[in-house]
Amino acid sequence: MHSVHKSSHEHQPVANDWQKLSPIAIVYFVMKIIRGVFANIVYLIPALAYSYSNIIAYPYIWLPILLISFTALLLGAFWSFQVYRFRLSDNVLEIRSGLFRKKHVNLPFERIQNVKIEQPLYYRLTGYACLQLDTAGSAKQEAQLVALPLVLAQQLKQQILRVSPESSAPFSAAPTHAKDSYPPFATDEQLINQRSLPDLVLHGITNNRVWILLGGLAPFYDNIVNKINILLMDLGINLNDMFNLQVHSLWQVGIYTLSLTLLFMFLLMLFSVTGAIISYYGYTLSKTENRYIRRSGLFTKHEVSMPLSRLQMLVQQQDWLDILLKRVNLKLEQMNARLKQADHSAANNKIIVPSITLTQSRAIIDDIYPNNQLANVSFSAISGFFMLRYIGYYLFPLCCLIQSIAIIKHNIALAAIGLVLFALLSTLVFLRWRRWGYAFDENFVYLRKGLLGVDYYCFPAFKVQQCQFKQSIMMKRRHLATVKYVLASGAITIPLMPETIALGLINRCLYQVESSQRSWM
Amino acid sequence: MLKPDFNNENIAELNNTTVPQVENLNLQVLAQQYAPLNLIINGVLSLLFLMLGALVYVQNWIVLPSALHNFIPYALCIFAVTSLLIISLNFLADKQKRYALRQLDLHFSSGLMFKKLVSQPISRIQHVELKRGPLERFKNLATLQVYSAGGSHHTFEIPGLDLATAQQIHQFILKNKDLIHNA
Repeated sequence: MHSVHKSSHEHQPVANDWQKLSPIAIVYFVMKIIRGVFANIVYLIPALAYSYSNIIAYPYIWLPILLISFTALLLGAFWSFQVYRFRLSDNVLEIRSGLFRKKHVNLPFERIQNVKIEQPLYYRLTGYACLQLDTAGSAKQEAQLVALPLVLAQQLKQQILRVSPESSAPFSAAPTHAKDSYPPFATDEQLINQRSLPDLVLHGITNNRVWILLGGLAPFYDNIVNKINILLMDLGINLNDMFNLQVHSLWQVGIYTLSLTLLFMFLLMLFSVTGAIISYYGYTLSKTENRYIRRSGLFTKHEVSMPLSRLQMLVQQQDWLDILLKRVNLKLEQMNARLKQADHSAANNKIIVPSITLTQSRAIIDDIYPNNQLANVSFSAISGFFMLRYIGYYLFPLCCLIQSIAIIKHNIALAAIGLVLFALLSTLVFLRWRRWGYAFDENFVYLRKGLLGVDYYCFPAFKVQQCQFKQSIMMKRRHLATVKYVLASGAITIPLMPETIALGLINRCLYQVESSQRSWM
Repeated sequence: MLKPDFNNENIAELNNTTVPQVENLNLQVLAQQYAPLNLIINGVLSLLFLMLGALVYVQNWIVLPSALHNFIPYALCIFAVTSLLIISLNFLADKQKRYALRQLDLHFSSGLMFKKLVSQPISRIQHVELKRGPLERFKNLATLQVYSAGGSHHTFEIPGLDLATAQQIHQFILKNKDLIHNA
């Protein structure tokens, strides 16, 4: 099997024959099957919990079943490992896998969009890694090399990336001397940013990362709620009793509610911080020649690597809490068309730089797009018609309706609530309007929006996939228009700007796209 | 002297005033059969629904609660009026649909009260499809669908094209797409 070919091939990480994985892959398959089973068993849990005592009472039924399932699991994993083969030849990766449904993936390197190295906890001890390959366009075609030694995975990654379409070098230059010019841990990598633990705590506080935990806990919800209730009972706290207005006065219940809410918020925050640490522990953002690489993860180490040419848009987000703490999240958005298999904990293709300071964000942005003006550009406000539209056309009639009902019913409380709500929502509309801003220069389009927080968007005009010009009769009368830009990372709308500017923006963008001849990826 | 086949209509110098303008497009109408066909389809569908409602009202195999039963005539009246309104608005809107073809991009304008102009540069096209349902085939029509990397939600679509025109545009796109990519 292991026939070594010409001397030039000796450096090649993997030879030309069909190869088996390292046996450690069995662990991976076991985990995969367990995960698959768990994802489907969630619906069964209530039933199982209900008949729990019954099941326990008959060990001669469930014990064999458990044993058989366990054996089946091991057998399945072992067999998966047995049938899994991969082969590398002439810049094409082929993978054959599948127990019942056989799968043969044929993947030319130049079609590979993105290479990610993942190191789950159980691989980290043994120095193995999982190589994840994303392809452009068709969502079905994606492949994983399940267990490679980390060093080999790194080499292979370099090899693949050198053939990827954005490197103008022809194929022939790539694989054979990969090792000579690219040492396994590329030393030309330049560290751009690093996140410390306090940064991540901050990030957890300002950004809700609860779902990372919630996703993992999903199968155990029922149990957890029951446990909490029992625990509270043991502590002598009876929730039903506490909130009973017949037992306690209104202010007492109010204080209970408030403290319980605060407690809940605190718990959520704690969870969120844990979530942030799980996904972003040991965060580094580094850069090679034309590529940005993010590495992070407490249990499973993720590595996302993105060529600069794939970047569609920069988003700098700042929630109200971030504004107080003077931090921002910077997102480098890539192609986003395949949301279906979005993996929450990995925050997939996006490279996010969590909770950095404004200066750090600016440094990164300037590094990515040297001639951008995001920091200095002056934004134009959108038309005040925005407020008229939302307050005048929607909120005000609604408020009038509520007020007239209140008058007819002689309900002062309703009237007051209606007015307060109206004032509150109108203020929000005003805040929203005040945040909206757009700007553009020779190469970029800039956008500012937000409500309490403020988000900045910046993208090169030539990345645009499609432009839309929208105008209602009302807007036409006022010579206003809305522009929508469709990018590969998603659509962006700039509402209610002067008609002439809107048309100008579209014309310029089309011109940039069509005259630059530059590929969007 | 310029070569006879030289065409630089869309790409001008990098000067704001001479950049080609989407406000001066040479907009084309859709095929004549398109709006009437849609009108007939929508009308027939609404009529079918009305008849179904009437059938439910007069039948006596299934006994409905009397409140529901008494409500049916009103509901059908409301449905008839609104669908009449929607169908006629749709018809007017269909008549307003236009498209334009330039050397380097496609445009589709639509909308009665909410005007919309979608511009799709040819160099950003991933692939093109001609779609023809049975009724479209019967009327010799075709729908042109253009996909970009903006996702399926933002598919650029020109409905109600004459088959020959649609095929021409299809060819035009394929040819120019290659030209642009090879340039």
